[in-house]
Amino acid sequence: MPEPRDADVERALERLLFEGPRGVNRRRFLGRGGAAALGLTALGSALAGCSIEGEAQNRVNVSKPVEVNHPKASMAGLVWSNWPLYIDKHSLKQFDKRYGVNVKYVEEINDNFEFFGKVRQQLAQGQDIGRDIVTLTDYMASRWVRDGYCTPLDKKNIPNAKNLVSNLRSINYDPHRTYTMPWQSGGTGIGYNPKKTGRKLESVNDLFDPAFKGRVTMLSEPYDTACLVLLGMGIDASTAKIDDILKAIDKISKAKDDGQIRRFTGNDYTTDLAKGNVWVCVAYSGDLVQLQADNPDLEFIYPKEGAMLWTDNLMMPKPTAHPYGAEVLMNYYYEPEVAAKVAAYVNYISPVDGAKEVLLKTDPDIANNPLIFPPDDVRKRLYPYPALNPTDERAMQSAMANVTGA
Amino acid sequence: MLRLSLRTRRTLLPYLFLGPGLLWLIVFFAIPLVNQLGVSLMTGNPEQGYTLQWHWATYSHAISDYGTQFGRSVLYAGAATILDLVIAFPLAYFIAYKAGRFKNFMLLLVVLPFFTSYVLRTVSWQLILNDNGWVVHRFQDLGLLSSDGRLLATTGAVIAGITYNFLPFMALPLYVSLEKIDRRLIEAATDLYASRTTAFRKVTLPLALPGIFAGSLLTFIPACGDFINAALLGTPNQYMIGNVIQSKFINILDYPTAAALSFILMAAILVGILIYGRLLGTKSLREAV
Amino acid sequence: MLRNDRVRNGMLGVWSTLALLYLFIPIFIVILYSFNDNKGRFNFTWQGFTFKHWAHPFANSDLTTALTNSLIIALATTIIAVALGTFMALALVRYGFRGKGVTDMFVFLPLATPEVVLGAALLGMFLTAHIDTGMVTIIIAHVMFTVSYVVVTVRARLEGMDRHIEEAAMDLGAAEWTTFRKVTLPMIAPGVAAAALLAAAISVDDYVVTSFNAGSTQTFPLYIFGATRQGVPAEVNVLATMLLLAVLVLMGLNVLLQRHLARRDRIATGGGFDGGPDADEEEAPFELAEATARG
Repeated sequence: MPEPRDADVERALERLLFEGPRGVNRRRFLGRGGAAALGLTALGSALAGCSIEGEAQNRVNVSKPVEVNHPKASMAGLVWSNWPLYIDKHSLKQFDKRYGVNVKYVEEINDNFEFFGKVRQQLAQGQDIGRDIVTLTDYMASRWVRDGYCTPLDKKNIPNAKNLVSNLRSINYDPHRTYTMPWQSGGTGIGYNPKKTGRKLESVNDLFDPAFKGRVTMLSEPYDTACLVLLGMGIDASTAKIDDILKAIDKISKAKDDGQIRRFTGNDYTTDLAKGNVWVCVAYSGDLVQLQADNPDLEFIYPKEGAMLWTDNLMMPKPTAHPYGAEVLMNYYYEPEVAAKVAAYVNYISPVDGAKEVLLKTDPDIANNPLIFPPDDVRKRLYPYPALNPTDERAMQSAMANVTGA
Repeated sequence: MLRLSLRTRRTLLPYLFLGPGLLWLIVFFAIPLVNQLGVSLMTGNPEQGYTLQWHWATYSHAISDYGTQFGRSVLYAGAATILDLVIAFPLAYFIAYKAGRFKNFMLLLVVLPFFTSYVLRTVSWQLILNDNGWVVHRFQDLGLLSSDGRLLATTGAVIAGITYNFLPFMALPLYVSLEKIDRRLIEAATDLYASRTTAFRKVTLPLALPGIFAGSLLTFIPACGDFINAALLGTPNQYMIGNVIQSKFINILDYPTAAALSFILMAAILVGILIYGRLLGTKSLREAV
Repeated sequence: MLRNDRVRNGMLGVWSTLALLYLFIPIFIVILYSFNDNKGRFNFTWQGFTFKHWAHPFANSDLTTALTNSLIIALATTIIAVALGTFMALALVRYGFRGKGVTDMFVFLPLATPEVVLGAALLGMFLTAHIDTGMVTIIIAHVMFTVSYVVVTVRARLEGMDRHIEEAAMDLGAAEWTTFRKVTLPMIAPGVAAAALLAAAISVDDYVVTSFNAGSTQTFPLYIFGATRQGVPAEVNVLATMLLLAVLVLMGLNVLLQRHLARRDRIATGGGFDGGPDADEEEAPFELAEATARG
């Protein structure tokens, strides 16, 4: 026989469960549903804290170098985030052996903005993102440096920094290389198929040649495409102002409306070029090195007006758990022999002086490939990305997004 | 120990069944989403940060600026869904009725392409459909394409890509509902001198309606928000609302607009589901059986 | 009428074969290009046949780890999502309760939400709650968006299903749990199996939500997307092919096992009741119908 207490409970339960008809009619439901939704909104807003942190809180002044001291400390647990297939693993194993550590190497960076989206919240709140070194392209590196998301480098731990090639010793967003050390560079120029175009190309404006109508692709990243077009208009892209850049984007937009441009691409222009769907592309130097191995016809040019030189940079986020270890790692990769090994595998432009000389002995094909080691006359017309302030950068991205339809 | 009556136990049962799944969805979906609702009403920029200002204008701007992309997404997703229904129905019918002991095997085959990566599958299509490839040449021979026509970087390519990638989502629910139809019903219909076609029309098709409903939803809804097919197989004139949301969120860091666009999309889809459900009359069907 | 039947069945068979071929054409290309003798790092120009990529398919430890992670995640996701979703579907179809209509609509919402918002919102929540992103968060995210697929698929099976058998079982004295285990579950098994396949497929191929919530864990799609910048190595094609073959072999073994069990049951019960899903049992009414039509 159930206790009176149980009976009370049971009656209460029954009242709760059976109150109202089964299959409550829609009007009552939505009422209840609506109330629930509002309640959840209130809860959610409370959770959200009603705001997203801005980046400008810790604006950093880069005009003066910063003196910092990272004494020798344990390197155990060092984490390096990089792009996939951007290193020869053997050199890393050698590093591990030499210093008795086990560097955790994570190939998780597929896109600068995507990676930033992942760690933005922690960076803005000053939390450790669990990575000691990240490798980011100039425009993203510039953002991190400007927003104070980077730990300054103790150059005493990086004596090999003297091997940095002269044209990269200083860069507009980090004039003293206080926060960044180049990892690999690449050129944004023109990749094309001479058999299809019927002639050799030399100028950026060949992209707009009506003879190639519908056979041209451009990169959707405005830092690459708009700046290259700007060079073709005779303007120095690395010091350009937003108005000039918007003019270049206008020109691209007209070309798109005329049907000149088939598509705007990420890295996927390579299939189109290899298959002959397109004849002329805004392209990366490293991609053409790989494409040429299977399609010797394809060519890459650094246009006569100039080409963009982008660099992926090693940086330490702020805070970082192993600054000393990170600097030792950077120093290791500035040894010419090690840099040569990396360049031989990755086939992008090495920022280390002396790597070419090492490769001349072991791998002369690579050493003499102008796409991997551009000659001096080319280096003179390689321009870094402009350092835009956040408002201008957003204006540029928005304008380009309107053209590319995104 | 509480000894509840059978009636009470039976009534608690749905909550017990529903509880864990619903809880999971509320914690890991609803709460983050409600947070995004808050974000859609914020104003600001990446530098200064965003604050909740109940700024409803974001929604009206979103609709007016990107109405074309919304329309396109619905059009492409709708076309792909219809194509998927046409392709998958006979396939599901075959697996349900004719495949015998190979039923599960064929079902697996339908899903197997997903176990290679999306990137590989799309690159394969790019290779197959390239301008100078066998497929394009045959199309040109048949006069379906002009001599310098192409299949890639067209609306057709994007719709074909969506159709291809969502086919299993249509086929499996169709199979599931076809398979459970009692064959004796069809047999009874033919015994009563109905032709096979009439039996199909009057018996099989109505009973397969839950499957058609489920399959269309599982195809149409995610297809609306797709962006990869347009990005890899299309030109800017094919870009869908998914591309806009992706770009706003990741590149331009305009979180409020991205969130607003997402909610508009979701609201439109919900309305669509309600209307579709009414049209197909699944509710009355449920009552009838 | 018989000839028409045969023609119709023939056409069904042809259509199905074509549909399956259509599904597999890109896969054949993927398999083919695992044998491509490419010189550079890109793999889309056919250079000649070679086995060199098959020589050391597991040499790239990052790739192998990524694939293993994806499989583990898919397994965990499938089990959890199918469990949660099946019960949800049962509740939604079989019972009336407060909040049913709202829950009905609510279940569709994850399908309708663009992945980028889904992934970023979830990441925001994990970060606020100071949960480290990695395998566990990936599985949580995957279960979250596959549950809807499971619910919708199992519902398609449940709706309009004959409840008389279950009621008969209970009338005969079976307790609810026994009825559920021995009658209901087997009857919805095809729906559950289909839902499991869908959930596994979605989980193994997901990119956007995973990329936000993976932390430093690599999955197969993440690796491949990342590799496209430098050129997807042919070893990826090799591993993908091996995965397909492994699944096919497992399935084939399953079919053989079923046949063996069925034959054993048939022998044991003297040719009467069949032990498992078997062609004979399903086709009996059909054959009866055909014989009637013929006669």
